[in-house]
Amino acid sequence: MSLLDILMIAIRVAFSAFVPLCFIAVCVWMERRGAGFIQDRSGPNRANIFGFRAAGLVQNLADAAKLIFKEDIISAHIKHKFFFVLAPIIVFFTAVVSFGVVPFADTLVINGKSYIMQGIPIDIGILWFLALAGFSVYGIILAGWSSTNKYGILGGLRSAAQVISYEIPMGLAIVSLLIVYGTVNLNEIARFQGELLFGFIPMWGAILQPLALVIFVVAAFAETNRTPFDLAEGESEIVAGFHVEYSAMKFAVFFMGEYVALFVSSAMIVTLFFGGYQIPFLATKTLITIAKPLAFVLMIGLPVGMYYFAGWIRRSNISHYPRENDPRAFEAKWYIRCFWGLIVIVELLLLAILLCQSGGDTINIFVALLQVCTFLVKVTMMLFVYIWVRWTLPRFRYDQLQKLGWQMLLPLALLNIFITSAVVVALS
Amino acid sequence: MFSEGLFYAFSVLAVLGALGLVLFRHPMRGAMSLVVTMISLAGLYSLLSAKLIFVLQLIVYAGAIMSLIIFIIMFLNIQDNDLPVEEKRFAYTAGGIVVLIPVVYFLIKIAGTIPGVEATIVGSGFGGIKEVGLVLFQDWLLPFEIVSLLLLVTLVGAVVLAGKRRVGK
Amino acid sequence: MGAKVKTIARRGSTLQERIFLIEIFKGMATTFGHFWRNLLDNSKLYVRHYPEVKPEIPVRWRGRHRLTSHEDGSVKCVACFMCQTNCPAQCIQIQAGERLDGKAEKMPVSFNIDLLECIYCGYCVEACPLDAIRMDTGIYSVTGKDRESFNMGIDDLLAKQGAFTEEDYKKGGA
Repeated sequence: MSLLDILMIAIRVAFSAFVPLCFIAVCVWMERRGAGFIQDRSGPNRANIFGFRAAGLVQNLADAAKLIFKEDIISAHIKHKFFFVLAPIIVFFTAVVSFGVVPFADTLVINGKSYIMQGIPIDIGILWFLALAGFSVYGIILAGWSSTNKYGILGGLRSAAQVISYEIPMGLAIVSLLIVYGTVNLNEIARFQGELLFGFIPMWGAILQPLALVIFVVAAFAETNRTPFDLAEGESEIVAGFHVEYSAMKFAVFFMGEYVALFVSSAMIVTLFFGGYQIPFLATKTLITIAKPLAFVLMIGLPVGMYYFAGWIRRSNISHYPRENDPRAFEAKWYIRCFWGLIVIVELLLLAILLCQSGGDTINIFVALLQVCTFLVKVTMMLFVYIWVRWTLPRFRYDQLQKLGWQMLLPLALLNIFITSAVVVALS
Repeated sequence: MFSEGLFYAFSVLAVLGALGLVLFRHPMRGAMSLVVTMISLAGLYSLLSAKLIFVLQLIVYAGAIMSLIIFIIMFLNIQDNDLPVEEKRFAYTAGGIVVLIPVVYFLIKIAGTIPGVEATIVGSGFGGIKEVGLVLFQDWLLPFEIVSLLLLVTLVGAVVLAGKRRVGK
Repeated sequence: MGAKVKTIARRGSTLQERIFLIEIFKGMATTFGHFWRNLLDNSKLYVRHYPEVKPEIPVRWRGRHRLTSHEDGSVKCVACFMCQTNCPAQCIQIQAGERLDGKAEKMPVSFNIDLLECIYCGYCVEACPLDAIRMDTGIYSVTGKDRESFNMGIDDLLAKQGAFTEEDYKKGGA
C-alpha cells in the first residue's frame, strides 16, 4: 500500500464522515433563515464575533456553546439509564454511517490506479441505506420507551410506526428503480444516469421513474420525521415526542442526528433520481476531454458571478434604519474582500489546470473536484426542498398518515413495479 | 490476521448476546441483546463474503423483525412488577448447563474431526446479489416458490387467526 | 339577536385536490415567492430592528408604574389603600403616615411595588381616586440584575416622569 493509497482512503473516509457533520450547521442555518424569509421575517442575524455575523451562521456557534455547557439531566424516574443514553447515540451513529455508501465523485484514476470515491467500499449501496434506516428506529423506540414519560412513549410509538410503515413503499419504489438500473451499487447507478436518453435528455431517475420519485420522496420525508409527517414531535399535542426528557448535549445529538439523516436522505434522493455527482449532459468521459475549455469558461464565469454576488451582498448587508457609520456596510466590505480572495485562489488553480498537460492526473483530479461540487450543490438544493416543504405544509393527522402510506403509496409502488418490469421486459 | 480477530470478536459478541437474551430479566434488555447477536451474525456472514446474506440479515432480522418485537415490548409497557417471579431461575440455568455439557462436548469432538482443508478463495462474484439471484431463480426456482407459498399460507393463517375474535363479537 | 353565520365551503373533495401534489405545488409556489422576494431585497421584511429601533409606545400602554406629585413636588397619594386592596397580584405594600403639609390627612411613608409579582393589569390606576398612580412611564422592558432591584420604593416611583404630555394622557383616556 503506497502513501497515495493511504491518503486517498483517509480523504474519502474523512469526506463521508465530516461533510454530513459540517452540513448540520448549513442545514440549521438554511432552515432558520429560509423559514424567516418564507414568513417575511429575517431569522436569527444578531449573534456576532467582533461584529461579523456571517449572515447568521454565528448563531449556530452560540447555540452549540449553549447546548454544550447546559446541565445534562437524567431524571431520577428513568430506570433504564443505559438505554436512555444509548438512544441518541444510535440515532446519530446510524445517520452518519449510512452516508458511507453514497459516492460523491466518479472513480478517480491516478497513476493508472482507480480509487473509489465513497466512504465505505462496499457495492451493496442502497441496501446498506435501507438497513441503517431500519436501525435508526431503535434509537427512537428506546428514547421514547426509556424516558418513562407518556409524551415520550406516544412520540416513540408514532415515530416508530410511521418509519416502519413508510419503509415498505420506500423499498418498493427502490425495487422499481433497481429494475431500471439493474444494479444496487450507487456508483454504477450514478454512472448510468450520466448517459443521455434519445441523445438529449439526461437519463436521470427522475425522468425514467417519476412515480418512484414521488413515492420515494414522500417516504423519505416520513423516514426523517419531517413536516408534513413530523407528528412524532407534534409539539402542539405531545410536547416534543420521544426526546421530551432529553436535555443539553443528549438533545443536541438527537437534533444533529435528525439533520444528518436529512442530509443523507437528500444525498440518496440526488444519487438515485437526480444523477448523483453527474453534471447534466456531461458524463465523466466527456468531462475529461473538455476539461480545459470548461476550466476556461469557469475562469470567465466565476468573476462575473462574483460581481453580481458582491452587489447582492452590498445591497442586503446594510442596516435598514438610519445609522451613522453603518457597521454592516463595513462588514459587507470585508465579506466581499474575502470572497474575491477566494475567487483569486480558484482562478490561479484553474490557470494551473489550463497550463498543465491534457489527459494527465491533474485533469482527473479537477474533474473529481467538479463532481464533488456538483454533488454538494445538488444536495443543498434538495435540502432546501426539505426546508421549503416544512414551511409550506401543515402537519398530517395520524390516521391520514397511515392511510396515505398503506392505501395510496403502497398500491402505487406495486403498480409502478409492474409497469416498469413490463416495459423493461418489452424493451429488452 | 485482521479478519481472524474480527471473527473472534463477532463470535464472542454473538454468544454474549444470546446469553443476555436468556439471562436478562427485563424483556427489553433481552430483545436488545438479541439485536447484538443478529448484528454479530451479520458480521460473520460478511467475513464469509456473503454480501447479500449480510445485508439481508441486517435489514430483515436485525432491522425489521427485531424492531417489531421491540415495538411490541414498548407498546405493552412492561414494568418490573409485571414480570413473573422466578425463584428457581439460577437452579434451572445450572441444570440446563449440566444437561448441555455432554452435547457441547460431542460438538467440539465432531468439529475436531473435520479434516483441515485449506481455505480456498472462491470467485470474486461469490455471494454478490446478482450471483445469488441467478442461482435462486435458475437452479432453485421450484423450492424458492414453494417456500414463498409456505410464507403466504402462514400470512393468511395469521390474518385468519387474528381476525377470528372480531367475528365472534 | 341572530348571530352572523358564515358558511365556509369545505374543500378537498375534487380529484385535483385529492391528488394533493398539485395543491402542494401551488402552496410551494406561494412560499417560494415570498422567499425569493425577501432574498433579493430584505429591506421590506416585517421586522422591527429592535434594540436599535425602539417601538412606538401608545399612550394607553401599561408600562412601569410611577407616583404622581403636586406642582410643589409633594406626593399626590393619600395612602387610601384602594390600589393595595384592589391589586389582584398583591404586589403593592403601603404604610401610611400622618401628613403635615395640609393637603390631606395621610400620606404614604413607604409605597412598595414588587414588579416581579405585578401582572401589569392596571387595576391600581383605575382604583386610584386621586390619579396618584399611573402607568405612563413608557417603560416596557423592566430589567435588573437582582431581585432587590425589582422592588420599587416610593423614591423610585416618584423619580420617573410620565413619557407623555398631560393632554395626550387625558385624550388616551387612561
